[in-house]
Amino acid sequence: MDNFIDSVGNLTESTASILGNIPAWLGSILAWLGNVPVWFGDMKASVEGYLADPIEFVEFYTFVVRWIFPVLTSIIFVRCIMPLLQGGVSSRIWGFLEIKGGYRIAVRHWENSIGRSKLSDIVINLPFVSRSHAVLSYGEGGWHITDLESTGGVLVNGEKVERTGCVQIGDTISLSGADFLFLPGDENCESLKKESRFDWLLKLGQGFTSGKTLLMILMFQFFGSVQLCLSINEEWAGKAAYTFSIYMLSECVYYFLLKKFTKKYIELELLIYFLCGMNLFVVAAAAPGQLYKQLAAILLGLVSYSIIQILIKDPGLGRKLKYALVACSVVLIILNLTLGEARFGARNWINLGFITIQPMEFVKVAFVLAGTATLDKLLTTRNLTAFIGFSGACIGALILMRDLGTSVIFFVTFLVVAFMRSGDIRTIALISSGAALGAFAVVSFLPYIASRFQAWGHVWQYADTIGFQQTRTLIAAASGGLIGLGGGNGYLVGIAASDTDLVFGILSEEWGFLIAMIVVLIVVFLAFLALYLMRDCKSSFYAISACGAASIFIIQTILNVFGSLDLLPLTGVTLPFVSNGGSSMVVCWALLAFIKASDERVRPGFSGAGAAAACDEDSDNGYSDPINPVDLNVAKRNDARTLTNLFQRKGKGNAAFPGSSAAESRYDDRDEFERWFDEETAKQNGDGSGGKGGAEE
Amino acid sequence: MKILTKRAFGLLLLALILLLGLSVFTFRYVKDARAWAQYPTNKHLFQNGQLLTTGEIQDRNGEVLYRAEQGVQSYHSSDTVRKALMHTTGDSYGNVATSVQVAFGDRLSGWGPVNGAYRFNDKSFGTDVTLTLDAELCAEAFQALKGRKGAVGVYNYKTGEILCMVSSPSFDPEHHPDVAANPEKYDGAYLNRLISAAYTPGSIFKLVTAAAAIDKMPDYDSKVFHCEGEKLIDGDKVTCPSPHGEVTLKQALAVSCNIAFAEISLELGGQTIQSYAEKAGFNANLEVDGIKAARGKISTADAKGGDLAWAGIGQYNDTANPLTFMAYMGSIANQGVRVNPWFIDQNSSLLKLLPDFGVKKKRILTRETAETLKTLMRNNVTEEYGEKNYKELELCAKSGTAEVGGDKAPHAWFAGFMNREDCPLAFVVIVENGGSGSKVAGAVAAKVLKAAEKKLTSD
Repeated sequence: MDNFIDSVGNLTESTASILGNIPAWLGSILAWLGNVPVWFGDMKASVEGYLADPIEFVEFYTFVVRWIFPVLTSIIFVRCIMPLLQGGVSSRIWGFLEIKGGYRIAVRHWENSIGRSKLSDIVINLPFVSRSHAVLSYGEGGWHITDLESTGGVLVNGEKVERTGCVQIGDTISLSGADFLFLPGDENCESLKKESRFDWLLKLGQGFTSGKTLLMILMFQFFGSVQLCLSINEEWAGKAAYTFSIYMLSECVYYFLLKKFTKKYIELELLIYFLCGMNLFVVAAAAPGQLYKQLAAILLGLVSYSIIQILIKDPGLGRKLKYALVACSVVLIILNLTLGEARFGARNWINLGFITIQPMEFVKVAFVLAGTATLDKLLTTRNLTAFIGFSGACIGALILMRDLGTSVIFFVTFLVVAFMRSGDIRTIALISSGAALGAFAVVSFLPYIASRFQAWGHVWQYADTIGFQQTRTLIAAASGGLIGLGGGNGYLVGIAASDTDLVFGILSEEWGFLIAMIVVLIVVFLAFLALYLMRDCKSSFYAISACGAASIFIIQTILNVFGSLDLLPLTGVTLPFVSNGGSSMVVCWALLAFIKASDERVRPGFSGAGAAAACDEDSDNGYSDPINPVDLNVAKRNDARTLTNLFQRKGKGNAAFPGSSAAESRYDDRDEFERWFDEETAKQNGDGSGGKGGAEE
Repeated sequence: MKILTKRAFGLLLLALILLLGLSVFTFRYVKDARAWAQYPTNKHLFQNGQLLTTGEIQDRNGEVLYRAEQGVQSYHSSDTVRKALMHTTGDSYGNVATSVQVAFGDRLSGWGPVNGAYRFNDKSFGTDVTLTLDAELCAEAFQALKGRKGAVGVYNYKTGEILCMVSSPSFDPEHHPDVAANPEKYDGAYLNRLISAAYTPGSIFKLVTAAAAIDKMPDYDSKVFHCEGEKLIDGDKVTCPSPHGEVTLKQALAVSCNIAFAEISLELGGQTIQSYAEKAGFNANLEVDGIKAARGKISTADAKGGDLAWAGIGQYNDTANPLTFMAYMGSIANQGVRVNPWFIDQNSSLLKLLPDFGVKKKRILTRETAETLKTLMRNNVTEEYGEKNYKELELCAKSGTAEVGGDKAPHAWFAGFMNREDCPLAFVVIVENGGSGSKVAGAVAAKVLKAAEKKLTSD
């Protein structure tokens, strides 16, 4: 009984102590608020005092613009992310599978799994169809069907398919005896909108034009660069002004190129323009001597971004690229291990005489590609050996180079991608426990790394020794307040590696807590965008590579930002697009291409009348759609079969198919089983979208 | 693609970890940014570890106690005032944790959550901090301590304003001595003993036991205790300096009879003593303008026999924080309501617009108990301590001579209040190893209170 009372007492005591803290927190917030009128009052009282001495123009300038920056940044952020979340789930329909009775199932991707499992893209709810029965995929100029070792087998036009076979428009595909007619998609870039509870929110973003957003970014960068040029050492000011002008000009040029030659949303590039602008601001304040190099890296990044997008437009070509890049990476890793130079403890640099590069940065691109696989491979061979081997080689090399941060990046990305590929938790658990043990060994073996773990969580105890960088970052962050002290007015730039590892500190000191936060939120947004786009990727190649790239961005951000803020041990990796560093910048752009490639949507300017043009444009570019419009028309004529009437009726009534006696009488030869099958199939494929495509014409 | 979307939760998890970490950082930022900014290597606010440019610290009469201009620190012109208020202003190097320079460094230096450490044309947005302290009164108290270690506190028990807050040993912050090289002379010099120390209370604790007795013993008024100079309780000997014979509670408090209070403690029991001590502020940290005072400790709930007897007379393992005890004195004077002491004047803050905002009030004794205690404490002065020593002060008080063991002299305590409408002041004086409470600490109190009375009535 006493024990019980004791435990109750302890409980109430601990609750009381938690509750007791709340007034203290409120108190500190109140005290903060209390300070505001204090300095307002004081400012009014002693305006004469502030104006007594002669004041330089830059003082007035900073006084005003530091309030504008966070506002402009917030607007830019909202204006960029809202359009990117527009359009709900909209995707083209590449073809239809028609079952006997006229019901059509949309083929929405270039790779579609077919089976009884709810996770299949095309759900066939028949007991004799395997859970994962087959994959219908487009590539190398035609459609293919791959049998996933199903029990019932796959037949095309009555002929059994051994592993993979070709499928033509109009062929009959038979899965364990259930027949489907493969029909072409629509000639329009069909966009099917799903109703969403957040539609009202997304509609707000419809009026945001990318041109105005670009203008705001340019405004921000113009004001920002003037602020910096006025604040930094005069000998660099001219160089900085020159760099910023070229950068802004190149932004405009690239924007108009995109506007003219692509049909996709441009806001993704705009967000990254903003980040790269912050990158130049940081470099100008911390290492103005490297401004030209950094500008060159950004431009080179833009070029590699465009090239990779063109190369992977066809996933088949992307797969070839994968093997080439993996081979190059192996060479790079070997070169790095033999010729590498040590900087800040890690031997991950190669000096080419005129320039130094970090080869492992470039390996990231190959790494992301190495993880990709087509859906049929993904569902048949769960063999990860090649990928595991390559990852192991990369991580092993990084440990030899003593680059803990980058090896963590590779490892976590490996986990994310490996799970996407295998879906098998046990494999992953085995690998990660092995790796955790390895990491433990590494940490205990290298006192250099161990000291970073020692400081972790206790940086104020070691404020001037091993916690030096973190405490200075926190001091800088606190000194900046919410709106910052103005570019070039910080002291953190004087600390080694502040423009790479501690870049969050520079951002919050000079540009304020709000802008620093938004910079990180942009990276978070990239991950959500990749996840959002994935549902409608035409190929698993894009889905996996986009997720791999986003994982690299996120884990790098976690290590960089949290390392400098003492939420994690400091590891010395770069913040994507923001940290100073040429290799890192080029590679970030290259990785961004994978996220961009997974976006299939057409921006509003291209919808309606423009939509068809966009499709044509694709053809003009020498890139052929799976469905040839000519074929389509032929197919349509031949295959009239009064489907349209049926679907119009269904679209209106939305009753369980087949609802009316008229329809039933037309298909009265069907037996009960087939009717049940139709209903189930309609349900499983969800929201009647399979039929609506035809109905809306 | 559906299956891949499901399997992509790894990325989702990473993104959520990033968001979670950002929230943790934001929380820490809101909570601690003001402390981070105050780290002395922050070049925005400090130069060579000293505040760069600040507003002024002023006492209640506008005397400038401290200011910094472009890294040059200046204090009050009188060295006695400088020493007396060193613990309040701070020592330029941030050694005194409870000082204004440390605890209110953000307001002095102009750091704010929105503006950060922004300075316009090299001028900070630092603001003045006005104290409720009276510099002259503090100097008077510091001199009255005559270099002995200890503390003096005086506050207005109706409004909570602290008028005098002095701790000794101190030093001149303008000529910072080598404190580490003189450990004897500067023993705990960085400590504001009024706020941050806790001592054995000795007989002043009898005011807590007496409050319990008044409430819980129906016959407290008439009951007579027999004192023969010593008494054995469960094998422990409780002693008085000399036999007091037959005493009532009133007499026992006046002559500070240990045996009478030992019997009262045993009769009330450990639980009651502990609960009354906790009402008086023991086992809790009193907050003065957000600065936490040290915690006085009492644990009699399970004490028995001799331990309980000694605990009831302020020995055993009891400790008392001078400031908290002063607030207890204030509550007796203020009809049982304790007004929390404070010393930073919120003169230019919005908080001032709300009446009594930030001044915490708490009833800790019933009005009747407080009145009874008041008459008993008044009786102490008139019967024992000598009204002539405290002429016209209408003093109500209790002395304490706390045995500290070994061959060291006892701590001298004197605590109480002036029962005057025009001078509602409560006070506490502690002189470490000073000897007799009423003689040593009482003399300091008399000097300070007379000066305070003169100041309040001449206005």
